[in-house]
Amino acid sequence: MPYLFDSQLMLWTLFARPQILDAFDNIELEVLRWQGTGKRLHKYGGIQFDFNGKEIGHIHSNGLLDIRFNRKIKAQLLAENRITDHHVFEKSGWISFYIENENDAQYAKELLRKAYEGLYDHLHR
Amino acid sequence: MNTRTIQILKGFIVSNLFSVGLIGVSKYLFSRGGQPIFIFSEFVIIPILMGMICAWFWKDLNLPGRKKALYACLDIFLVLAFSYIFLGEGVICLVIVSPLIFGFLMLGVFVGFKLFKRNDENLNVSIIAILVFVFVNDSLSKHNYQNRVSDTITINAPPAKVWKNVVAFEKIKQENKYWLFRIGMPSPMQTTVTGYYKGAGRKCIFSNGYTFDEKIITYDEARDLTFDIVGQPRDPEIMNHIDILRGQFLLKDNGNGTTTLTGNSWYKLYVFPTWYYDIWAQSITRNVHLRVMEHIKQLSEK
Repeated sequence: MPYLFDSQLMLWTLFARPQILDAFDNIELEVLRWQGTGKRLHKYGGIQFDFNGKEIGHIHSNGLLDIRFNRKIKAQLLAENRITDHHVFEKSGWISFYIENENDAQYAKELLRKAYEGLYDHLHR
Repeated sequence: MNTRTIQILKGFIVSNLFSVGLIGVSKYLFSRGGQPIFIFSEFVIIPILMGMICAWFWKDLNLPGRKKALYACLDIFLVLAFSYIFLGEGVICLVIVSPLIFGFLMLGVFVGFKLFKRNDENLNVSIIAILVFVFVNDSLSKHNYQNRVSDTITINAPPAKVWKNVVAFEKIKQENKYWLFRIGMPSPMQTTVTGYYKGAGRKCIFSNGYTFDEKIITYDEARDLTFDIVGQPRDPEIMNHIDILRGQFLLKDNGNGTTTLTGNSWYKLYVFPTWYYDIWAQSITRNVHLRVMEHIKQLSEK
């Protein structure tokens, strides 16, 4: 069911904001260049990026990017005023960010890179 | 025509031929000469396999996400066009089915790209074999699903006044609010009866002229009107998809000059999976109820 719902979001995105799908490709290309990363379907629909079996973040087909940080980083990012609390788990370290254009895609890459570096450092500490 | 275009077209052609072939074979092998049933696999497994076939032909083309989604849409458009032309499916049915098959076809495309990238023949064959097994198993399984939809409204009139408008009513003139009625799905227009007694014939006439023939089986004045549907129109939107079995209006005197009117409909679905199609069946039945019951309310409150 979640996958079916996400595919409807993709259909809507395809006709309403097709450039977002190009931005997804752009992000995917970038993230999959980083050492040890992979992608798969997210359990609630969308594409999930992993590092060493752990989730970096996922993008739903309407352009909603969700990433988990620790609360300290989340607070710093919230201060930048571009991200919001996670659309469901508001009180957690998860954040949400809507990708609506190419600039947003660039920021999304920066957010994913930050999460990736966190996981990378944790693994190599 | 360059190689790239040929590969894209092969994806469309082979996936569509595969789906037509598999549906044809399954109908030939597994239908038991009775009521045709559209099983879960036809809307889930076949689109997944179609998506995987497309992925097989498109795997080396380095297609961007936008094109993958667009081509998946085109593939579905072809399936729907074939269903319209060769299977005689109605347009509204195709509108209803398209989100389901789009979702599973896209899933097939994604899984296919992942699988074929790994180039693991054993894994590929295993997954396809599992999907075919599920298809055959589903084709051989029994399918039976019945449900009831119930709606209630309060009418500011006593039961005796409401009753005469429940048994039969003049043409509904209000504009349709429900989006499926607005895009062409027939909506209820008028009801006629041959008499006011148990066993009398009743006709529910829809906006396109199609008629449901009904027989009153309970005539408990100002309380209960129950009727069996004895003849359904051969409308491609209904045929082989749903049977409306029984309808009922229950009137409850609230003791303050108002009446609670409850409309019940029993139906049987011939399309699966029901977790998807029953959402639509309930929504459509509910909107048929509400259109009729709002009309009864308006007539009774005059």
